[in-house]
Order: sequence, then structure tokens, then C-alpha cells
Amino acid sequence: MNHDLLDVTRRRFFSRLGAGFAGLALADLLRADEKPWSPGTPQFAPRARQVLQIFCPGGASHMDLWDYKPELEKRDGQPLPGEENMVTFQGKNGPLMRSPWAFAPAGKSGKQISTLLPHMAAHVDEIAFLHGMTSRTNTHGPGCVFMNSCFTKEGFPTAGAWTSYALGSLNKNLPTYVAIQDTRGEPPNGKANWTNGFLPAQHQAVALAAQMPLRNLARPASISDGEEQATREFLRSLNAEHAATRPAESELVARMQAYELAARMQMAAPEVSDLSREPAAMHEHYGTGDKNPLKAAYARNCLLARRLLEQGVRYVSLYCASRASGVDGLLNWDAHKTLKADYERHGPIFDQPTAALLSDLKQRGMLKDTLVMWTTEFGRMPTRQETTQGRDHNPDGFTCWLMGAGIKGGVSSGATDEFGRRAVTNATSAYDLYATVLHLLGLDHERVTYYHNGTNRRLTDVHGHVIREVLV
Amino acid sequence: MLQGSSYYRLLALLTLSLLVYSTVLRAEDNAQGVAFFEQKIRPLLVKHCYECHSLEQKKSKGGLTLDTRAGWQNGGDAGEPAIVPGSPDKSLLLKAVRHDDPDLAMPPKKPKLPPELIHDLTLWIKMGAPDPRTQSVEAKRADKTWWSLQPLKAAGPPVPAGLPPSWESNPIDRFVFAALALKGLTPSKPAGKRALLRRITYDLTGLPPTPDELDSFERDSAPDAYRKVVERLLQSPRYGERWGRHWLDVIRFGESRGYERNEIIPNAWPFRDYVIRSFNDDKPFNRFIQEHLAGDVLGPGDPDVEIGTAFLTAGPYDDVTNQDIVAQANIRATTVDDMVSATGAAFLGLTINCARCHHHKFDPIPTEDYYRIKAAFDGASHGSRVLVSKDVYEKHASARRPLEQRRDALAKEKAALEKAEPAEQSRLPEVKAALDAVNTELKKIPSLPTTWLPLFKQPQTTVVFKGGDPTKPGDPVKPASLAVLDKVTPAYELSVNAPEAERRMALARWITENNPLTARVLANRIWQHHFGTGIVDTPSDFGYLGGKPTHPELLDWLALRLIEKGWRLKDLHRDIVLSQTYQQSAEFREDASRVDKDACLLWRFPPRRLSAEEIRDTYLAVCGKLNLKMGGPGFRLYEYKQDNVATYIPLEKHGPETYRRAVYHHNARASIVDLLSDFDLPDNAFAAPRRVVTTTPLQALTQLNHAFTLDMAQALASELKRADASPAGQLNAAFRRLLQRQPSPQEHAAALALIEKHGLPAFCRALLNANELLYLD
Repeated sequence: MNHDLLDVTRRRFFSRLGAGFAGLALADLLRADEKPWSPGTPQFAPRARQVLQIFCPGGASHMDLWDYKPELEKRDGQPLPGEENMVTFQGKNGPLMRSPWAFAPAGKSGKQISTLLPHMAAHVDEIAFLHGMTSRTNTHGPGCVFMNSCFTKEGFPTAGAWTSYALGSLNKNLPTYVAIQDTRGEPPNGKANWTNGFLPAQHQAVALAAQMPLRNLARPASISDGEEQATREFLRSLNAEHAATRPAESELVARMQAYELAARMQMAAPEVSDLSREPAAMHEHYGTGDKNPLKAAYARNCLLARRLLEQGVRYVSLYCASRASGVDGLLNWDAHKTLKADYERHGPIFDQPTAALLSDLKQRGMLKDTLVMWTTEFGRMPTRQETTQGRDHNPDGFTCWLMGAGIKGGVSSGATDEFGRRAVTNATSAYDLYATVLHLLGLDHERVTYYHNGTNRRLTDVHGHVIREVLV
Repeated sequence: MLQGSSYYRLLALLTLSLLVYSTVLRAEDNAQGVAFFEQKIRPLLVKHCYECHSLEQKKSKGGLTLDTRAGWQNGGDAGEPAIVPGSPDKSLLLKAVRHDDPDLAMPPKKPKLPPELIHDLTLWIKMGAPDPRTQSVEAKRADKTWWSLQPLKAAGPPVPAGLPPSWESNPIDRFVFAALALKGLTPSKPAGKRALLRRITYDLTGLPPTPDELDSFERDSAPDAYRKVVERLLQSPRYGERWGRHWLDVIRFGESRGYERNEIIPNAWPFRDYVIRSFNDDKPFNRFIQEHLAGDVLGPGDPDVEIGTAFLTAGPYDDVTNQDIVAQANIRATTVDDMVSATGAAFLGLTINCARCHHHKFDPIPTEDYYRIKAAFDGASHGSRVLVSKDVYEKHASARRPLEQRRDALAKEKAALEKAEPAEQSRLPEVKAALDAVNTELKKIPSLPTTWLPLFKQPQTTVVFKGGDPTKPGDPVKPASLAVLDKVTPAYELSVNAPEAERRMALARWITENNPLTARVLANRIWQHHFGTGIVDTPSDFGYLGGKPTHPELLDWLALRLIEKGWRLKDLHRDIVLSQTYQQSAEFREDASRVDKDACLLWRFPPRRLSAEEIRDTYLAVCGKLNLKMGGPGFRLYEYKQDNVATYIPLEKHGPETYRRAVYHHNARASIVDLLSDFDLPDNAFAAPRRVVTTTPLQALTQLNHAFTLDMAQALASELKRADASPAGQLNAAFRRLLQRQPSPQEHAAALALIEKHGLPAFCRALLNANELLYLD
């Protein structure tokens, strides 16, 4: 074969390669049989095998949750020095506004954390805070998409899809990448947050939640088990005969295997989603019976997240809150007008179930190889908006955090200025966050690439540095 | 990815010739200067810069390398040389080490260089930056000698030895045979009639042949039986629905706005209909392209022509209200970028958009050229306006006119009465009532519908955005063609304040007149849709990172043929599908496969899976439910919900109103619609010039369990029962309808058993899931 031909063949081969959910890529088929799906290989020894990403959409305020700013308390009501006439996403800003909640030191590290999150305070010694995060946009939709894919434009593969593409599946009857959306609905920009983008479809997230079973999973009620078995058997023999006369078309066999995998999923997915298998104490711990239905719903999703991780789902995205509604701050963390009332709603929904999930993972030893990250699309301004008691979007400085596999606990990397307006020390962004995530998964973010429309794309675009100071 | 150093070749000079420089001094003649370089400058660079800027170490942060002279001459992503010999103050490198610009402070995250080193650098640049490091820079990029940028070459079809007589007459066959022969390969025997009819019918119409069509083709023993089928299919309106869909993929046509709000666009469908109509009418494609860019200039007032410009706004855009001025500027830049990207990719196969922030890293497109093209679109923005024919407009106006006249008269009278003495106002109530009545009548006449079309206005002067950042305006640029083709295609350059319509028209002409890329890219797309893969397998990227042609001479032959035939696609289709190459069997051959596994050289016809639309359309067609209504607003397989933002919830049940061809589905962005999405319908956030084909268990779950399959199985069962009362007759008919063949005795027995135990719908559900239904030989 000459070089050109080799190139073409290689491109065709790689365009289908990837051992993700239902990967059934040609490479796998050649060695598949009944074995579990062959995972891809890390490029070097990984610290983490699985990822749990908790996402609070709406722009969760760093200086009201994680990033203590005593100066804001002192200078409440005074203008923000140097930016007295600041115009941001929704318009003009008023003076500095202190957080409605006191901060208190927690853990051995004495990390200051908002008293709005009393349960999360128990975990500060395991968390590495990234206080110098920045984003490239001040708009929710592009911001969420950026935080998931490192591009503000939708249509790029998200981190979970890249992970699936690079590492493949860890199980043989469940998806590789699951997105658990909040009971209130999809996050801003919806499904773009868990898309495979231009990566092959087997790398897409499967949307699944306690309130929303996997689509088309259940056999229709009108079809009996006997009919189902007989139908599948007839189909199998029909397909086998067809494939036998076309021995070179491995896709035909791949499709037959996909039907078998689908059947296994029909057994496994309801099982993993069946929360009634959890003891009452566990439900109590997470708060699934809480009288606040939104908190109870999120708690169930936290429990589901643990069960999915336990069964070897590679990447779980868990959302706490949803898209923006006509009323700012109602459905998500977008507190433009009434910060105090909004966060008194969102804080308790998030706090206990998340903290319970983290303790549960820890108790089961799962944090040894599960990386947990908490993200939001941007932070909020230290000022209040000119005519409200809320804060506008702030992409120039905010907080995300990491925990679990390979992460040093009780540390903070990066910092915003004394008010929380801008990242001033060790500024980071989604690029660095995912360079770090991939590094922990045993992957060099510069070497995980995929050709698309003229460019060898990567998750971190052309940026990204591993944030080494938070690594063990 | 970087290649091994063994690939390094001298191409620095060629690269240099593409870029605009201030004087490059012949500094190596300056022995004193070289000594200074060796003593002072080289050690400085090695110690402080190479860590991130060394070709040798494969580090080129910001695109800049400093271990060769060419490295700093080329500069990095900033798009200008890092050093301007003789002018320290104009040298970016010096600005960076002096920390003049905090965003560009070098070395990063390290202490500033000591003043004496900065002084040395300044001195050296003043000396003219003598630099003896003339070693080559690897050619990891294309220049103007790149294959796709050359004029079309008219090579006569070869006459290879051993050419079978049936392969002599069609030039395509001679090119293909010659390429096969070079590898010691031979073509396959002709496909059987069933396979051929399935292949050509799906290929040209996206639908399966009916049992009657197969019967008549099998019975027709005339030598031109196949040619007659091809003609019938090319004349079928189904052709435009199939091939128009291919084009909609290429130009990222979607019917919601994307981004955060993702509001549905209810009035974009006229463009989809225009595309389908243009394909069916075999409109010359050069004209079609011109209409995309400047239909309003070519046919002002003619809806059938103006509608073409909806191409410009067929992509996603961010319509959120943002008060932040910088954010607004970025959003606008991205909106126009979508138009530049779409234009470059769809017509030219060039990734012009890669030059938005810096010179193109792989293709010879300097960043200024990006902005020259952008100047053509700076006046366009997303929106809707009334676009109707003069007749419709006149009819509407004439319905309103008498009422308006009466209204005006009454209003005048009313005003006069109101000013009059009270005693003379007796008629006032009557006039008021009459006025109300006429206004009510006017309101009853519906206003004219609007269409999703770009709105044009004269833009500000276009400037380069340094690093792609709209807050860093650089020099103004004129609306002009890409320099990359200036030796091949007549260039244009307009004044900075040229009328915006003129800019688009000039660009449209440049793309469609004597531009070898346009014809090559189009011919390749046609080939790709017939064979599954193009002669270039990256259909919208003919640049350095794209694929190389497997049959370069054939590609040029096709491109020239296209031009010769007046850019009419149907002639090219005939050439291709009537070739022996196309009519080969898809049967696998071990020996040939060892040389060319994927049949890139076409030793057989490459089998393929049906596309998402073909699968859904096939279900509807074979189950007797397909509604062939053409055009108009699309149907939706989701529930559309809108609060502040849009949500698309896939439907559990697809009603009969959705039983139209999938090309009429209202394809919203970031929505997922079961069968179509499962089978790789692209999202259209980007152009999808070539769809991926994946196999997942979600497909199996949808095909087995979604109500649509069950409904189709029921419908098919009813049809079968109506035609034949016996299970044996029913299953034979089903095989004929779905698979265009009779069942084998084993299949017959198994099917009969299934029907007897679980009923006809169970059998129909299984058959709808069969691989054979979804794959073409």
C-alpha cells in the first residue's frame, strides 16, 4: 500500500475507533466475543478511573459559598474601587454587597466555608479548591457548554465523551457516560452539555435520572416476554444468515452484538436505578425522604450517581438545578435580584445530599479511584446590581473544586482579589481543569486528539496546564 | 501531531514567500553581528526561551519557535514576525520581555529578565538581528504549491492494458481501472439486478424500490433497462429530497437558533424547499452558489432567488441580551465567523476560519485574508423579513388599498367634525362607527408572512482583530479574495467602504468563476454520496490536514466535466452511476481486500448502511404510510417548550401528521429525536459534510421499543392481511416489500412459526429490525 492509501485507510479506521458505550468499534469486534468491552488504555499510570462531575448551573456565587471575603463585609455598601460604573451582563452595578451568610472555619485545615453549607463543611479537608477559575463568556448557555467542552460554541464533544473516547467502558452492560439531569429540567443549552459532538455516537452521554428512566429501555407493555424472546430469536437467525454471506462486513456482527448488549442493559439499568435496594439508613443519610421535594429529588439522583459509579460507569455528570426560567434565580443559581431568598432555596437542596454522597463514596473506598469535581459556569459579582439585592454574572473569577483520586485535600489553589471580582493568583479555567482531569485519568490532554473539519481537535483546544499543586 | 524529525524538509523559503514582512536583512553577511549573536543572544534564547519555543523540543507555545531564524520571522499566533530587524520598538519579542503588555509578559510566571539581557536583545535587533541559524523548518503545512490550489488539469483518460471492453467507453472506468491495475487489482463482476436496483434507488431518491419496480426491472432485458431506471429516478421529485438533504448537511442548516435560548425558527423552511427545488430543477450549481451569497443582488424582489441568501444565516447564533460591551463584540465576531466558516468549507473546502486569530497553521491563509472575506459578511445579521412574489404582494396591497382609502377619508371627516361646532357634529357617531368598522376589516387581512433571511446594512470598515480579539482592532482591510489562489483565479479587491452587496457579489463571482477549488470540491461531494467516500475523504477540507485524493486525475476530470456540462449535477450523476465502476458487485474478495481493505480504489462497490432519514422513510414506505407531501412547514418529533429558553422533548408517539419524508422534519439544534438522532442525524451546530456511521445499543432499543416501530409493524401487518389472508402469502409479501426477495425455506419456516405463535405484527417488528433492511450491497 502506498502512503496515500495508508493515510486514507488509517483515517477511516480511526473515524470509527473508540471503545465507548456500545463502542462496537471494529477494533473491539475483532477481539470481542463475550468478554466485557475492551477499555481503551491510558497513556500512563492513572490515579483515577472514574469521574463524578457535580454541576450547579446558573453561576453559583463563589463569595457566598466557598471563597471567604472579609473585605466585602467591611466595605459593604461602598463602591468597587476602580470599577465604580461597571456595566455587566444585565446592566449597571451598584456598590459592594456582603454575603448574607457568615463564614466559619471548618475541618483541620480551618478552611472558611459559608454557613449556608453546614454539611459540606465536613469535607473541606478532602477538597482542593480552585479559587482562581475564569471563563470565556458571561452567558449561561455558552458558559455551561464551555465548562463541559472547553468551547463556548455548542457542538464540541464534552469531557465525558472525550473520556469515553480515550478510555472506553469499564462495564459490559451499562453506558460509559451518564448525565443525570435535575428534576427541574435540563441545564442551560440542554443536551449540548453532554453531547458527543463530532465524536462517534457511542461516546454520547445517556440521559438517565431517578425521575427519568433510560429512553426506550423498557419492552412495550403490549409485548409478552415469550413474544419478545421469539421475535429476538427470529431476528437473530435472520441476521446471522445475512451476515454469514458477508463475512467481511464486521458492522453486521456489531449490530447483532448491539442487540445483545441492549438486552443486557434492559436487565442492568433498571437494577442500578432501583433505589429501593438501598437500606433506609442510606436514604435517611442522603435525604431522599425530605419534605422539600426538590431536595428529595436531588438526593435520589445523588444516590443514583453512587450506584452508577459502583457499577463501573466511567463518567457521571450530576446536575443540581436547571436552565434559567423567566424568573431569575428560581430554577437555578442565577441570583440576580434576590440572592438571599434564592440561595436559601438552592443551598439546602444541594448541601446535605451532596455531602452524603461524598461521605458514602469515601466510606466505600471509592474515592481512591474516583475523581470528584464540582463545577459551575461562572461566579457572581461582589457588587449588587444597581436596582436589586442580587449579583450579576462574573466570568473573571470564581470557584470550582476537586476531590478524591489523586487530589490533595484541604488545599486552595488560586485566588481572587480581596473582593472576589477577578482571579489574581494562579488563574485557571476549564482548560486547566480538564488538563488535570485527563492527567489523573492517565492521559496527556495534548495527545488525546480527533480529526474534525480540518483540525485535530482536543478537549482543551490549544490551552491547558495541569494544576499540579492540587495533586497528591 | 508532530511528525518525526526524519520528515523535516526545507520549505521555509516557500513559507516565507506567503507572508508579508518588513525587510529581511541579509544578516549572515554581518560577521560582527553573528559574533554578537553567538556570544550574547543565543545563550539567552537557549536559557530563557527554548523551554517553550523550540522546534527541536517540539514546543511552540503561541505558535512561536525561536531556535531558527525562520521561527521568529514567521512569528507566532500574533500573526506578525516576533522581531522586526532594526526596530526594537516594533518587535513583539522585545515588548514581551520588557513586559510592555501584561498579557504578553515573557517569560511567563517567572521573574523579568535582568535589564542587561534586555539591553543586549535591543542592541541585537537594532543591528538588524543577525542570525546565522538558517537550518530548515519542517514543512508541516501547505503552501501555494499544494495540490488542491492548482488549476484543473485536463488529463485524457488512460488506456490501461487489460481494460475490459465494457470498461472502455466511460472515462471514469478507465481512470478507476488504471488505478486498480497499478496495485495489481481487478474490478468485480457486475452486481445482480436486485442489488443494483436497491443501490440506485436509495442513492438517487433515498427510498427503497417497490416490488413492482423490481419486477419490471427484472423483466426488462433491453440493454438500456438500467439507463431507463436512472432516468426515471433522476426525474423523480424524490431526487431533490434526497440530494437536497446532503446539501443541507454541508451548509449546517438548522431550524433553531442554538446557544442558550435556542428558540425555534418557524420560518426557515422556505430555504429547505428552495434547495430541494433547485436540485430537482437541476439548477446550474454555480448559479446556486451565487444565490447563496448574493441572491438579493441577482434577483431583487424574486423570492425564488433572494431566498438563497438564507444560507448566510442558516447557522447557530447567540441572541441573548448582553449588556456587556466586550461580550457583545465577541458575540458579533462569532456570528460573522459562522458565515465565513460556512462559506470557506461549503464552497472551497478551505478552513478559512482557522485564520481568525492567527495565520492558518497548516494552509497558506494569512489572518488578513480571513478579515478580507469577513468584510463581505460584516453587513449581514440574523432576522426575518417579508419575502413574497410581486403578485402576492400586489394582491395583498390591493385588498388593503380600498379599505385604507376609506379609512383615511373617514379619519379626515372625523377630525373635521370634531373641530366643528357642536351643533354640526350630528354625523360624528356614524363616522366613528364607520371608521371602527373599516379598521376591523383591515385587521382581518392577515399581514404578509416573514421568512428567515439575513438583514443587510452597510457595515463599518473591517479591521483585523489581533489574536481574534475584537477589543484589539488592527489595520483596516479591503473586501478582497484570498491571496492563496491569486495565480490561478482572478483576484478582486474592493475599496474599504465598498457597498456591502457589491462585496458579496464579488466574492460569489470569485468563488464560481475560474476557481478550481469550487469545482473540485463539488465534484468530490457528488462522488462521495454515490460511493460513500469521496476521492478526497475530507470533503470540506482540501487543505494540509485534509485527505489526499485517491484518484487526482479523475477528480479533475469530474470537475472539468461539471463545468463543461454547465454545472448541472444530473449530467455528472449519469456519468457516475452509468459507469461499470458504480455497477460492480459489492461482494467481498479476500485477495483484493488484502491490498485495499476499504476498497478505496473501488475494486468493489462499497456496501453501506442507510442514513437516519433513509431508515425512517423506509419504515414509512414499506409499511404503506409514507405521505409524499412536499414542502411547507416541517413536522416535529418533539414537543417544543419555551419559557426563557427552549426545551425539546422527544415524542413518545408519532402521529400520522409526522408520516412525511424525514427531510421535512423541523431539525432543531441540540434536540434528540430517537430514531433520527440514534442513526447519526447531525446536530447541525456544525456543517456535517460527511456523516459518521455508528452502531450503538440505543439504536436497538429504539428500533425495538419505540412506539413508532410498533405502529409501523401494526400498519404493515394490516396491509399484508388486506392483500392476502394466508400467513404464508403474508410473509412472502413482506420479504418482497422490505427486502426485495423471497425468503429461503428456513426463513419461511421460522417466520411462519413466529406468526402462528405470536401474530403477524411480531414478525413485522422483527423484519423492521433486520440488518438486511438497513444495509445496501
